[in-house]
Amino acid sequence: MSLLTIDRLNKRFGGLVAVQDFDLTVEKGEIVGLIGPNGAGKTTLFNLIACFYGPDSGRILFQERSLIGMRPYQICALGIARTFQVTKPFVNNTVLENVMVGAFSRTGSAKAAREKALEMLQVVEFSDRQDVLGQELTTADHKRLELARALATEPKLLLLDEVMAGLNATEKVHLIDLLRRIRNQGITLVVVEHDMRAVMTLCERIVLMHQGRKLVEGSPQEVASDPQAIAAYLGEEYAAA
Amino acid sequence: MSSPGTGWEKGSVVAKRERISLGWLVIAAFLLLFLLVPLFLHDPYPLHIFVLVFHFAFLGTAWSLVSMAGQLSLGHAALMGIGGYTSTLLFMEWGVSPWIGMWAGAIACAIIGVVIGYPAFRLRGPYFALTSIAFAEILRIYVENTEVGPFGIPLRAAMGLLVPLRGQAPALFQFDSKEPYYYIALVMMCIAVGLSYLINRSRIGFYLTAIRSDQDAAEALGINSTKYKLIAMAISCALTALGGTFYAQYFRYINPERAMGLGMSIEIALVGVVGGWQTVLGPMIGSILLTPTGELVRAYLGGTYAGLHLLLYGLLLMGVILFLPNGLNDPLVRAFRRLEARVWGRAGGAGGVAPPARPQEKQPQQGERG
Repeated sequence: MSLLTIDRLNKRFGGLVAVQDFDLTVEKGEIVGLIGPNGAGKTTLFNLIACFYGPDSGRILFQERSLIGMRPYQICALGIARTFQVTKPFVNNTVLENVMVGAFSRTGSAKAAREKALEMLQVVEFSDRQDVLGQELTTADHKRLELARALATEPKLLLLDEVMAGLNATEKVHLIDLLRRIRNQGITLVVVEHDMRAVMTLCERIVLMHQGRKLVEGSPQEVASDPQAIAAYLGEEYAAA
Repeated sequence: MSSPGTGWEKGSVVAKRERISLGWLVIAAFLLLFLLVPLFLHDPYPLHIFVLVFHFAFLGTAWSLVSMAGQLSLGHAALMGIGGYTSTLLFMEWGVSPWIGMWAGAIACAIIGVVIGYPAFRLRGPYFALTSIAFAEILRIYVENTEVGPFGIPLRAAMGLLVPLRGQAPALFQFDSKEPYYYIALVMMCIAVGLSYLINRSRIGFYLTAIRSDQDAAEALGINSTKYKLIAMAISCALTALGGTFYAQYFRYINPERAMGLGMSIEIALVGVVGGWQTVLGPMIGSILLTPTGELVRAYLGGTYAGLHLLLYGLLLMGVILFLPNGLNDPLVRAFRRLEARVWGRAGGAGGVAPPARPQEKQPQQGERG
């Protein structure tokens, strides 16, 4: 049984086809990378999985359960969490309070939520900044905060929308290490990413989207050497490297 | 789970130890002071001002529960009016004690709040504020022009309702002197502030602030935003209705123009905004500042310059919005924390305790590449 099954998914905005006949299966414990040029439909696909809007047609099954017609907050209860491309911290709350909001999805007790949040901050190694307000953080910190907040909801599937953007090289290496550890806890990851080096290192399977469709799918090596992928996105330079 | 040091080192996860905070001592001292005031102060007029301060602190606190979810209500007077009318009519018609009738008003208002909130909360933007004004104004105009309402309810139009006098009758929420009202208003304020404090520290409070900050992020974390806004609305409306009964019993008279009017709605909201809407103590601070000011100006200058207190309110509001957009609460809390740090002999205190007065622009990030 696959964790996530997407079957002939379609979404259009007016005349613009954002996602077209898209299929994807994600198995438990995988790290799947979703790449593609801007406007390829990656974030739209994320928003469809997270039920921020519904598809025009097609099926999305999470653990054999259809997500069509559900609301975003119901998805969270099932075990899907996400981060946002443009980070959305709760700016007037401290880091700890931000993460507690996530933890409250599994407990009604403030004490238990606090403990859970402290644990998650330790996992993402952010404990030293737990009392800093959301608005005082840098972009790199926001990414970390969103990750801790999402993890606090105890997800089975974590959707990460460009978590690498805005990080420097050292921070990226460190985050890749962290994401691997998260996966080793049994959490499945689907990441949208522009940073090819990070995607190639992190993911076991990569899906290249182009104009709303799946163009190429395979291991990092397969995708990197695929002529279609090179033509559509990676470029000759990458193929040479 | 150790990892190479890269500037993201693990910090200590020792939870901040709870110590007896100076804040609690100050609150306890104020409470004691308020409890003792009627023993020294026998002049009814200052006592009356205290009662109004507590009453508006109560109403402002009830109002702020809705604003915690980022929703601005400018129609809370309607709920106050419904609460006051319900308990008074029940007393007039069937002799039901207002102590009981006030709960009927509270339940009615909780339901009304949900009915108004349900469609309005689904829209983003100023629609809730507009809906709340519209509701309150429609209700006021209706009552002002209706002698006998549905089911033969004697609304008495613009005349309003006089609470039938029973002299000293504690069981009927009537007293001869000001002192009992003083203590009732004080207790009501304490209950509202205490409730607001508990809500703030619980899941609902965290969810409300999350919804206010970013509804999409909140929903992604499993928060049914409409549901939690409605819960806040129901509690706020029920409390406001209880305030309406107090108003009717204290003044022994309630009319649509005052108790349901836009002026009252704005006064309630103003107390919250000036003090610091979306904070626990803010409405109380706002009421302590605004209510006596307004009352004294009205009493001493109202004869010569009618409406001067409204002008003063307007100026205060402009000043607060310009210089303290989050209200008086934040700078006061910050000043207090500094004092506390000095008293406890600690330099500074935890970093970033209180927010800056204005939300800062996002800091420029290092190493961002397109």
